[in-house]
This record gives sequence, structure tokens and C-alpha cells, in this order.
Amino acid sequence: MDNIIEVKNVTYEYVDDNLTHSAVKDFSLAVERGSFTVILGHNGSGKSTLAKLINGLYKPTKGDVIVDGMNTKDELYETEIKRRVGMVFQNPDNQLIASIVEEDVAFGPENLGIEPDEIRKRVDESLKAVDMYEFVKSTPHHLSGGQKQRIAIAGIIAMQPDCIVLDEPTAMLDPKGRKEIINTILKLNREKNITVILITHYMEEAENADRVVVMNDGAIIADSTPKRIFSDVEMLKSVGLDVPQTTELLYSLKKNGFDVSTDVISIKEAADAIEKALHLEEK
Amino acid sequence: MLKDITFGQYYESGSVIHRIDARVKILLLILIIVFIFISSNLFSILFSALGIFTIILVSGVPFSLYAKNLKAILPILLITFVINLFYGEGEALISFWKLSITTGGLYRAFYMSLRIALLIFISSALTYTTTPNDLTYAIEKLLSPLKYVGLQNAVHTLAMMMTIVLRFIPILVEETQKIMNAQKARGADLENGSLMRRIKALIPILIPLLISSIRHAYELAEAMECRCYTGGEGRTRMKQMRLTKIDFYSSCFAVLGCLIVILLNIIF
Amino acid sequence: MSLLKVNNLSYAYSGATPFFNDALKDVSFNIEKGEIIGIIGHTGSGKSTLVQHLNGLLKPNSGEILLENENIWDNPKEIRKVRSKVGLVFQYPEYQLFEETVYKDIAFGPKNMGIADDEIDKCVRDICAIIGVKEEHFNKSPFDLSGGEKRRVAIAGVMAMKPEIIIFDEPTSGLDPKGREDIIEIIKNYREATGATVIIISHNMEDMAVIADKLLVLNKGKLEMFDTVEKIFSNRVKLNSIGLDVPIVTRVFDELIKRGVDVEKDIFTVEKAIESLKKVKAGDSNA
Repeated sequence: MDNIIEVKNVTYEYVDDNLTHSAVKDFSLAVERGSFTVILGHNGSGKSTLAKLINGLYKPTKGDVIVDGMNTKDELYETEIKRRVGMVFQNPDNQLIASIVEEDVAFGPENLGIEPDEIRKRVDESLKAVDMYEFVKSTPHHLSGGQKQRIAIAGIIAMQPDCIVLDEPTAMLDPKGRKEIINTILKLNREKNITVILITHYMEEAENADRVVVMNDGAIIADSTPKRIFSDVEMLKSVGLDVPQTTELLYSLKKNGFDVSTDVISIKEAADAIEKALHLEEK
Repeated sequence: MLKDITFGQYYESGSVIHRIDARVKILLLILIIVFIFISSNLFSILFSALGIFTIILVSGVPFSLYAKNLKAILPILLITFVINLFYGEGEALISFWKLSITTGGLYRAFYMSLRIALLIFISSALTYTTTPNDLTYAIEKLLSPLKYVGLQNAVHTLAMMMTIVLRFIPILVEETQKIMNAQKARGADLENGSLMRRIKALIPILIPLLISSIRHAYELAEAMECRCYTGGEGRTRMKQMRLTKIDFYSSCFAVLGCLIVILLNIIF
Repeated sequence: MSLLKVNNLSYAYSGATPFFNDALKDVSFNIEKGEIIGIIGHTGSGKSTLVQHLNGLLKPNSGEILLENENIWDNPKEIRKVRSKVGLVFQYPEYQLFEETVYKDIAFGPKNMGIADDEIDKCVRDICAIIGVKEEHFNKSPFDLSGGEKRRVAIAGVMAMKPEIIIFDEPTSGLDPKGREDIIEIIKNYREATGATVIIISHNMEDMAVIADKLLVLNKGKLEMFDTVEKIFSNRVKLNSIGLDVPIVTRVFDELIKRGVDVEKDIFTVEKAIESLKKVKAGDSNA
């Protein structure tokens, strides 16, 4: 199996108030190239630390993080790892550097010393990939949150990464903005074959993932397909996460004696399950 | 609304002046300013004025916008006028107490105020026709010879700072407005009371603003690092400034104008 | 008698751009004492502009706001009194914290109202008891608290003024599920303890279905609908036409009805859904 990222027995410690805390503990995770992985966890579960460990922004206290065969501890690969593993953060405003969209998207490639003509090409392509090409000359300040976040994503794609890590990219957006971002991420994964690691606490966003990893207290407590994870409502609630209302509904039905499966996410699937349960009763 | 304030005052009209390379525009601005002050007689200064009004006309930016900038410095203009009025030689027109207004003083006052007004007009013409980003980039380029004296990092850092300032001023202005509203909603009184009280009333606004700026800076620094930023070394730029025919012709016009000013200065 | 009455309110920001045109056009409605009102609408529909009028942060271009039958702008010098009666908790309220200690920050509002020190102390302690700010936190710096705790303290800062109407602009945004639950709990507790009227701006229809009595729907600065939650959510055609959704559970039931399953039509909460399906099940076995 071709793993783009390998986190091997990593512990990350930081000092606060003279006390040593560990944000992640003896943590191991391998991410397959081209996959779409969602990491779920409440605030303080260590998921953001993990994101920063993956692209070398943080260095492990113990253990190793290997990106495409390169150890993040090796200073020689510092920039190359950041190019290959792009990061998108929560607040779009704090990621955009220039006051013209195209100049912002060009920032990454410019740092890499790419030829001007090639940068121009990449900027246009990246903006098209996130459906923001019509705003090429706009000012980020005049765009909506979802649009700004898509510009931030374009800025990452312009560096032609193999993998994108998104750290709660939708937390500050309205429902429309959230949909825009999730659709953009899916498109990049499916069409450009970019490995996606999406960190979030919105369960619905995990619906289309290949794999869902649930984190709590710096460790993995579940790692499976979205359906499997969703059906374990009790486990999710025990770590402070909530489930989509569809799952919630079926879970409650089951508790009330209905014979329904709880591994559903979409509205259609939920209707299927309820219909089936009611028909069974009739027989 | 406060959030729509943008730094700089770019006005899009697509004129030929807009299309002149920003570097050329800055250099021509300096040249023209020098010649506004070299214009030493009525003919040459009126010619300079004519030239500058032609530029204003061609720029396609409404004159009212230029007038707005002039209005902002009107007090300075008036003071200059009045002071110069009394500093002339020649025949006294009106005298009172120890002061007298002479024809020389009148001329002088007229020259000086006109020069300042022209200075404002021509500088406004630059800021109205050039985006702040282009200006930043042009300044970086124009200062680039400093790298031969070991200042390349300083030049790059200055340009990067200007870029970030341009980007964050509207954000911080908007944030200030939000924080002010939030504190007003908690009953803060920002409008009344003595000066001391009003200064004290700013604390609930300044502290959150400071904290928020630090947060912006910290997160921005991380985001820049993630986008492979390691300083100015080895960076390229997407936008290449290329000189075109427009730059050549506009420079010719400007130089021609300056020559005429010199000629007028000599002849009269 | 209505507590808050808005008559033909119109407002436009000067220098508005096509992107930020949070204007209001001829908005009128009545709020009775003790109601819980949800305001829904897209970003840019004028929700934030509307609530900033209710406590006098913005002054209408035309129209009036009557608080207990008095126009709040009758006496502009007294507008700060209106702000203590109508509390407004902005989005991300933790960004307004500034004092050295949690206690001082919560006391900022009551202090601005010019009440006596022992009275202020009572206000702070009362509100902290109601919404669960621990006394051991009183002398801590608010900046040392966790994100959720910071927001709790910031909300306490507004509640400490004991407003009769309290408005929340997207109170749960940016929080994780646990944090969201906590905030909803705080709002409920405050209302139970004080009987205050509550206005909440939110995008979360599922939460709205559970909390609100009435919903106010804004679209492009106009008041589209203002009615009970049931009436609003049963008007799906209109909601969908302005791009707003009903709760997910309602959409599941709509799907069932479309397939010819005989279930109740207007179900907005999981609780009601279970009840309804139980009835269907019981009915089937009886038949």
C-alpha cells in the first residue's frame, strides 16, 4: 500500500504554566495516497496539533512523521514537505496575504521561485479548480467567508501539493459557505486525486470520506468507514461529538423498539430505513 | 460603512494614465514636483498648471475627487498664502501696523499656494490611477538597487510589510467597529465626559483590538510558513512590470514639458 | 401590550457595496414579553443590522422602534438605558473581553449602568450562579480560559446587566458540539431564571425547532415571514424559494410522504418524529 503520510509513535509535548502536557500520545496513523480521510474530535482532542505535525510546522517530541519518505525532522526537506502537504486553516482572513485575489494565490508559487509565466498559469488553473476564476482581480475583503476560504485553498493548490490538510475549514462559515468548501474539497480529491485530510467536528462533513478517524485526548479511539462510525452513536456522544439528525433519529427509533439500521447518513437512506422498518411491522 | 474604507484611493477609469507603469509614474511624479518648484515666473508656473490639468483631464478621474484632497489641506494653503503675503518686496499696496502687503508679496503668495495646490493634484493623480499593490511593487522595484549595498532583506521586508498592511487595514477597521459596538452594547460611554474619561473609555476597545492583532499576526505567520515563505531570497514574482510604448511616450511628454518650463524660465 | 414594536424600519449603510448590502426595507413586527424568537436568513439578509437597531446601536433612516410603547430615539441622550434593557451578545463575544479578571469583566456592564458597588457585586454573583461561571474563576484572567469558557464569561458580561430582552447573534458559531450544547443551556437557564424575552440569530434549523416559539425570516433586507415555528416550517415552498432549509428530520418525513408512507406531515423535532412513528406502528398492528 502506498502511504503518503506515516505518523509513527508520535508524542508531542508542550509546556504551559510550568507543566508538561502532551497533545498527542504515542500516536500512529498512516494515510494512503489519494484517499479522503476525516479526523473527528472535539476541541482539545489533539486534532489540530496532529495537522501541524503532519506538515512539519510542529516537530514530534518523540517518534517520527514521514511524508513521502521524508522525515519532518530533517531540515533539508522543510520547504519541500510544506509544498507537498498544503495546509488550510479555520480563519480565511488570516491566511490571505495580498489584497488582490490573483496576487494572493501567486504567493506560494512565488516563494518557491517558479517562473512568472508558469505562476500565471497555475494561478488561473487553481482559481478555476475552486470555481473562483471570475474573482481573479477582486479584493478578498469584499468576498464572503466561503469564497475567501476557497481562495485560500486555491493558494495551496497553486503549489501543486500531493496532499491537503484542512484544519476546521468550515468552522467560521455559514451553511452555504460550508457546502461550497465541502464540494470543493471533494472535487479536488476525486478529480485531481489530491490526498485530503479534513479535520472537523461536523459529522456531516465526513459523509463522503473513505475513512473516518475519531480522536480523543490525543489518541485514536475509532478508525473505520463513515457508516460504521456514524452507527456508533454512543461512542460519538461519549467523546463530545454529535451526530447528524438523520442518525440521531434512527438511533432514537432503535431505542424505542424499532427494527432499523443506524448506519445511515443521507435523508434518502434514512427514509429507506424507516420505510423498511414500517413494512416489516405490517408483515 | 467603515468596512468599505480601502487604503489608498484608487479610481478605475481605464485611462492611458492608469496604464503607465507604476515605476515610471513614481519617477515622473518626482520629476514634475521638482519642476513645479523650479517654475519661477508667471509664465512657467501657468504652463506647469496647464500641464497638470491636462493630466487630470486625461486621467478620467472626476475633478471633485481631486478637489476633495485639496480641501483637506485648505488650512495649510491659506496659512501659506497669508504668510507669504507679507513677505514680499516692492510697492506697498495696503499697510497697517508694521505690516504691508506688496505686489511682490501678492505674487509670492499666489505662487506658493498654486505650487502646493499643484503638488496635491499631481500626487493625487498618482494615487487615483495606481492600485496600492502596484505602488508597493513599484517602490520595491525602485529601491532594489539598494541590494548592492547589502540591503536586499530590508527592501523585501518593507514591501512585504506594506502588502500585509494593505490587506489588514480594512480588517482591523472593521474589527474596531465591531468591538466598539460590543462595548457600547455593554453600556460603555464613548462620547461623553472629560478628556481623561474618554481616554479611559478607550481601554475596553484598545485591549481587545491589540489581542486580536496579535492573533492575526500569529496565525498569518503560520499560514505564510505553510505556504513556503522563507523571506525574500529565491522568490520570484508573477507580475512582471514591462515597459511599453505608453511609458516611453508619457516620459517624452513629461520631459518636453520640463524643457518648456526651463525655456520659459530663461526667456521671461 | 407588546414589549417591543418595530414599525416600518428602513436602513441603508452609506457606501454599501453589492457584496455587503445589509440594508433593511420597511420591516415591521411585534414581540411579546417572554417569547423566544429565532431570526433566520442568509448572510447579508440584514439580520445583524436588524438586531443592532433593537438596542439603539444603529439609528433607523425611517421608521421607529418602540420599547414598552416608547420610541427609543425620543431621547437620544438616554439611549444607553435602552442598551441595558435590550442586551446584545455579538457573534464571537469573547473578542470583547479586556479586563484583568473574569469578575471585573462581567462587572463592566453593570458598572456602566451607574449602580452601587454592592448592587454590582450581586448582579455578577447572581448571573454567575445562573449560568455556571465558577467562583474559582473570578480572579483568573479571562484570557487564560478555554474557548467555550471565554464565551460563557462574555455572555455573562451582557446578562449581568439583567436585560429584559436579550439578543444573541449566532451564539454557537465556531464552537464544538459540547460547546454548542453549553451555550444553549446557558440561554435556557437565563430565561428560566429571569423570564426574559430572547432573540436568537442562527443558521441551525434543528436548534431553532427545539428552542424558538416564533421565527422571523429575513430575505434581502425584507421581512418575509414572522410566525410560529410550526407555521414557518410548514411553509416549505416559500422557505426553499429563498434558499432556506427545514430541519433534517422534517425532510426525512417529507421524503416518506412522497413515497406514500402514511406519516404526519409537520414534524420538526426528533422527539415528535418518534411519537408520530410510534403511532403509525401501533395503528398498523391494530389494523
